[in-house]
Amino acid sequence: MPRFAVIPGGQALAPRLGPSDPSRERGLLADLYARHAAAVFGRCRWLLRDEEEAKDATQEVFAKALRAFGEFREAASPTTWLLRIATHHCLNELRAGRARWREEAGRLAELRRDEGVEPERRELVRALLGRADPEEQEIAVMYYVDELTQVEIAAATGRSLPTVRKRLRAFLAAARGALAEAFPNISLPEEDEL
Amino acid sequence: MTSRSLGGPGPGCSATRMRQLAAGELEGAERVRLLEHLAGCSRCQGTRREIAEEERALAAALPFEDFAAGVAERLAQVERPARGWRALRRWVPLALAATLVAAAALPMVARLTTPRRDEGVRIKGGPTLTVYLQQAGGSRVLEPGEPVPAGARLRLVVAPAQRKHVAVLLLDSDGVAVLHAGEAVAGPLPDAFDWTGAAEATVVAVLADQPIDVAALAGRLAKGGVEAARTPGAEVVTLQLVRRYGP
Repeated sequence: MPRFAVIPGGQALAPRLGPSDPSRERGLLADLYARHAAAVFGRCRWLLRDEEEAKDATQEVFAKALRAFGEFREAASPTTWLLRIATHHCLNELRAGRARWREEAGRLAELRRDEGVEPERRELVRALLGRADPEEQEIAVMYYVDELTQVEIAAATGRSLPTVRKRLRAFLAAARGALAEAFPNISLPEEDEL
Repeated sequence: MTSRSLGGPGPGCSATRMRQLAAGELEGAERVRLLEHLAGCSRCQGTRREIAEEERALAAALPFEDFAAGVAERLAQVERPARGWRALRRWVPLALAATLVAAAALPMVARLTTPRRDEGVRIKGGPTLTVYLQQAGGSRVLEPGEPVPAGARLRLVVAPAQRKHVAVLLLDSDGVAVLHAGEAVAGPLPDAFDWTGAAEATVVAVLADQPIDVAALAGRLAKGGVEAARTPGAEVVTLQLVRRYGP
């Protein structure tokens, strides 16, 4: 006979877990879920446009947060910190299908032409992100979606204010090019308005 | 031409600030100021409605138990030695706590629903099998090659990588025994076990999209060892249990 003995029921073992208090740890995870998971899931769903992928990405973001818990705990704003991780993760996923992403603006233009559907603001931002460089993408999301000021973005990313402004202008330039192709009747604010 | 705004921060308006308010990150005068602003700002009221909608969407798509199981699974993946598990060891108790939360919930989910291939927690890459060691002093991943202490309770965690069925068997010099068989659900197996063997054993997890004939599998393992578990369409993951350090 094989030499093992089954111990039924895992739950009965839970109170014996240590060295830290598992109920406290469960409480921590529940607290993170209650405070932040909806925002992270919303960000992942907006960028990935796939609920299953968004669920995966949300769990991955929180696993990353727990692996870097010291950094997370010391962040000035856990919300900003987590959304930045989520944005970064999802943009990386999207870059794998870059060609398709680049066609998003064209798809929105077709929708508008054929069915008269005006793209929602953030839908348009998402499409335009596909034409920008990675660093511009991240900063554009912080500015146009998270609605952080340039000063706040500089503080969150550790970049200088002129660099943040330069990246935003580069994003606008790329967006202008994409709009000229797909939405010639729409103009964007001038770069010096930033 | 139509001038189109892409958005951006407005005077006193910020989606992030609204999220910080919802997450309980704002206090004192800053919180009071934002609440006063919110009362008269349609834009921020719209953001607040979006946040409420996101909360409803999360609750419907990813309840806490599923979330906790998925996070624990990902943490367990990184606990492998090649990725420097010692540096992450302090997180194992949290991972285990989360999987235990899932252990209470997932069997009920399995009874109530028939999971589709695209449902549940998915992990990129192949399936994995992790063994946790539960002792009076704590719980942690058992390192490959690390002896199993006498009397230790072992708990297996499966990451099925989208496979639908799993069978987990224990193979040692005395024969083969089935530890678990059924639908492949990410997270810990329902039962812990105490391995009382004196030398070594192999835990074999077979994952497939079709139901697994466990009796036939056990017979093949008994005759041909681990290699006999490998059949077309099935993935096999193994881990060794040893009673003492090797030579």
